Amino acid sequence: MFHNSSQRKYWIFKSEDEVEQMRFKANQTFRHKIFGSGKPGLSESIFLERHEEDVLFRHYERRLLDFCNAFKPVMPKSVVSTAIMFFRRFYLNNSIMEYHPRIIMLTCAYLACKVDEFNVSSSQFVGNLQHETPAGQERVLDQILEYELLLIQQLNFHLVVHSPYRPLEGLLIDLKTRYPTLDNPESLRKSADDFLTQAAMTDAGLLFPPSQIALTAILNSASRASLNMESYLTECLGLKEDKEALSKMYDSMRRMKTLVKKYEVPKPEEVNIYKQKLERIHAEVASSSSKRKRGYEEDGHVAKQPRLAEEDWTDEDLI
Amino acid sequence: MEQYSILGRIGEGAHGIVFKAKHLETGETVALKKVALRRLEDGIPNQAVREIKALQEIEDNQHVVKLKDVFPHGTGFVLVFDFMLSDLSEVIRNSEQPLTPAQVKGYMLMLLKGVAFLHQNNVMHRDLKPANLLISSSGHLKIADFGLARLFSEQGERLYSHQVATRWYRAPELLYGARKYDEGVDLWAVGCVFGELLNSSPLFPGENDIEQLCCVLRVLGTPTRDSWPEIVELPDYNKITFKENPAIPLEEIVPDTSPQALDLLYKFLVYPSKQRCSARQALLHPYFFSSPLPAHHSELPIPQRRGRPPRQRLQAPPTDFSVDLPLQKSVVDPVQLQGHASCL
Repeated sequence: MFHNSSQRKYWIFKSEDEVEQMRFKANQTFRHKIFGSGKPGLSESIFLERHEEDVLFRHYERRLLDFCNAFKPVMPKSVVSTAIMFFRRFYLNNSIMEYHPRIIMLTCAYLACKVDEFNVSSSQFVGNLQHETPAGQERVLDQILEYELLLIQQLNFHLVVHSPYRPLEGLLIDLKTRYPTLDNPESLRKSADDFLTQAAMTDAGLLFPPSQIALTAILNSASRASLNMESYLTECLGLKEDKEALSKMYDSMRRMKTLVKKYEVPKPEEVNIYKQKLERIHAEVASSSSKRKRGYEEDGHVAKQPRLAEEDWTDEDLI
Repeated sequence: MEQYSILGRIGEGAHGIVFKAKHLETGETVALKKVALRRLEDGIPNQAVREIKALQEIEDNQHVVKLKDVFPHGTGFVLVFDFMLSDLSEVIRNSEQPLTPAQVKGYMLMLLKGVAFLHQNNVMHRDLKPANLLISSSGHLKIADFGLARLFSEQGERLYSHQVATRWYRAPELLYGARKYDEGVDLWAVGCVFGELLNSSPLFPGENDIEQLCCVLRVLGTPTRDSWPEIVELPDYNKITFKENPAIPLEEIVPDTSPQALDLLYKFLVYPSKQRCSARQALLHPYFFSSPLPAHHSELPIPQRRGRPPRQRLQAPPTDFSVDLPLQKSVVDPVQLQGHASCL
């Protein structure tokens, strides 16, 4: 249930500003970390600005969506929306300059498959990377497994994501049974579904409960078909008496629609410029930023190497 | 990890070793379940993902083990649980005399409360059995080991694995290979545990999957289209046929049992999953409201973990200071103290 979910408790934020602040902070933290490492010859200009990060983020998010949509066997919607939500949650507290979105996006999809019980083997999973050679797929898989633990930690081990698709079904059933004013509720489905797809690429899921997103999708779909459904809110959902809740709901719906409307598909030329910048950063700072990553790419076996400080507890330690 | 000091090893779970440890800050004793990612082909094991998922999303319940924390450690991570002294399989095995009817009732009450809570939260446990029902030092029963737990939904188009649940507690539809099933599999297991508590031995101890089905069929009678209409849709229904035999009355299987206990047992051990009594309903069964009333948790046995001599609970431990001893024997010789006193 959403009511006592980790999503409600930890991953719904107050405002658009708060979410942006977190990302800004992640960007700053990364800069400080690199400067703090005292690597010579680095200037501020090498780093991505927040808006540049954002363009790349949206670019890789779309690639994630494409990857999921092209996945064989067909990936259920719930897995896709979990993957996208993981991706968004991960980059709230981490900069794309630190962890490359190319690998994080695949790791998100991989973990989402497990979480939503969409059982595919690891080789089946990377088999979907068709432009990669078998050896390349193997390498990507190694990277995914290397980053999986980082991802699950950064998600704070909160794995269940409630998507708006289920509440959408619920609302459609409710409309059919309790709202005879509307002739054919099914006619709202297509456009409502589209709205959810668009909303998934915005911060809506970090700001609003899934049921409200679904409701907005329905009402938006209705208003596009020139249907007035206000009485559904006031009568069926009982908001007539509760003026405060009603106006709050209207406010939320307005904010969600703004988010969707504001969404811009990243321009290819911008993406290319920032991508070069991103690759340069990763090349420049790989040595100082992340041992985990570097060690991994060099020998591919970092996780198997003994790490004395954090080696497993053995029975001998206990006696 | 620095927050804990390891006190000992409790056992080996499906995905790692379980340690007993002390949380240094609070002094609480906890169980640490270490999930190592040594087997790297698939990364984080599904069982661990399921366990975290199920336990992160449900609120605290007295009869469900609490996941206190999860943190990364080395190449894996650690799940922190309340420390539990024992489990129900040990209680059944080790109790010197059979459990009294009131004690059985006490355990069933706690088990059903836990199961009702899980089902209300859309969690199917799928592996209920005495070894997964932990007993706390205060005698409370808590459901544990969510390695097979699934969040279920009413959508119903997803297929589940039938290779779940430990054989003796596996519902008949699973034995027939069902890939779509519901929380009824837990209720069947509850019935099996109930029978085991009453008899002090497992109800259907099949040696393999086929024999398991034989055990169940021998008692419940060969299923027919009348007694179990859905059976014809089950994948393995046509693969195997059994000699027809009538049901054996449960009073012969669990002798010396009160009629109310039998009535409740009958409600769990039925073929069609939908007809099994829900945990919530079972809690309202007259069984729990008739004499003898369910035993209070403080009246339940708490055996020690295997491998250690049982501590006698009621007898005070021998002490250096006792009212029965001559006073001189209780007084420490000042000479022994001198060495320590000098540092004061």
